[in-house]
Amino acid sequence: MTLTENLFENLRLELRRGCLTLAVLAQLRQEHYGYTLRKALAKRGLEIDESTLYPLLRRLEAQGLLTSEWREEDKRNKRFYRLSSDGQAIFAQLFEEWQAINAAIHLTIDNIQ
Amino acid sequence: MELLDRYLQAVKKHLPWERQDDIVAELRANLEAQLEDKEAELGRPLTAGEAEEWLKQIGPPIQVAARYMPQQYLIGPALFPTYWFVLRLAVFWVTVAYSIGVAVQIAVRTPSLTAALEGVLRVPEVLLTTAASVTLIFAVIEFLATRYPGRWPLPVARSADWTPSTLPPVDKEAVSGQKPRSYAHAVAEAIFGFLALVWLLLVPDHPYLLMGPGAAYMQGSPFQLAPVWVPIYWWVVGLNVLQLGWRAVDLLRGSWRGPRSAQRNTVQALGLIPLLLLLNVRDHAWVVLSHPAMDQARYGAALDGINKGIYLGASILCALAVLQLVWEIGRMGLNVYRKRAAAMR
Repeated sequence: MTLTENLFENLRLELRRGCLTLAVLAQLRQEHYGYTLRKALAKRGLEIDESTLYPLLRRLEAQGLLTSEWREEDKRNKRFYRLSSDGQAIFAQLFEEWQAINAAIHLTIDNIQ
Repeated sequence: MELLDRYLQAVKKHLPWERQDDIVAELRANLEAQLEDKEAELGRPLTAGEAEEWLKQIGPPIQVAARYMPQQYLIGPALFPTYWFVLRLAVFWVTVAYSIGVAVQIAVRTPSLTAALEGVLRVPEVLLTTAASVTLIFAVIEFLATRYPGRWPLPVARSADWTPSTLPPVDKEAVSGQKPRSYAHAVAEAIFGFLALVWLLLVPDHPYLLMGPGAAYMQGSPFQLAPVWVPIYWWVVGLNVLQLGWRAVDLLRGSWRGPRSAQRNTVQALGLIPLLLLLNVRDHAWVVLSHPAMDQARYGAALDGINKGIYLGASILCALAVLQLVWEIGRMGLNVYRKRAAAMR
């Protein structure tokens, strides 16, 4: 990997980090377990590695933004996650923030062009 | 699948024991569901090679397990600037204290070049111990702040209380540092340098120019300066000539405006040589008796006291001169580095 590619990769990861959290919170307004959540996000164009998504779910749960429960489905025990009430409030605020940033970036780019 | 079991077992080994079963159970459910999907898509079980490729894509077990752990730092980014600041201060002041301590110890105990060399060779050990101690203290602060944030908040969290009005005034050097020296200043330096040289050359024949009324006392006293002062004197004269020559060349070439740190540091480094010569005088006899056969019994003890005093003074002076030189060279290096970094931007 060249220096420029490496720099781009680091910046891309930095940019994605916050967006992934927002996307996960958005998707978990509906209940999912890890794998179906990953598939649902991929279907909407947001690929996330297993080793990123599953620990992220744990962290968000530890922060009180998600709730989870073990349940049997298709003869297999799975851990299902959904947004907690705190998570819903935080998600609404984050979404608003993201929209404001997005709009500001678009305005800046349009102004320069 | 046996390979998946082996993979999950390897992940489990790197997880915290109180959560490992729960995490591995969840990871297994997710990976098995993914495997089923893959196999349904292919219409057959994965081959050994495909299974290996799939697990390889998920990542090495140690890295997958690490993602489940909270981010761990020995010293985190919030505390690091304070740590770095304290570390630099500690290293500097410990070096100063150690150098003075060693100089005094050498002078008081058994003054020798070997003892001085031993003192210098112990510097890395002293610096490493200082750095390790500071690092350990900050690692403990980080650990406590991470584990018990309520009871032990990070000291930097309190820095929100600071106000700009508490900042120290701007350094004079920072304001006037870039101002070039004036021609009058450079000429005055050369004139005073010349007068100082003339004064220095007159001292041997007119010692009162250096010692004042003490010269008359010295002439009538049983003591006199040892011949070792002669080469030291000429070295000092040579240094003054060099400095004066440099200033004259600067004036002739019209380059008196520029910074003169390199010249200053060279003169300072050469100035260390007479001090070192002084410290290595045989038997530490800087002052001797004019008539040793007659006066040894009466003035021997006083002579020892005088020579010990000179040695102690010269040791401290030498330690301070070395420190000052190191400091100046460090500053010069830093300035060069800053200029290069600024030019590259």
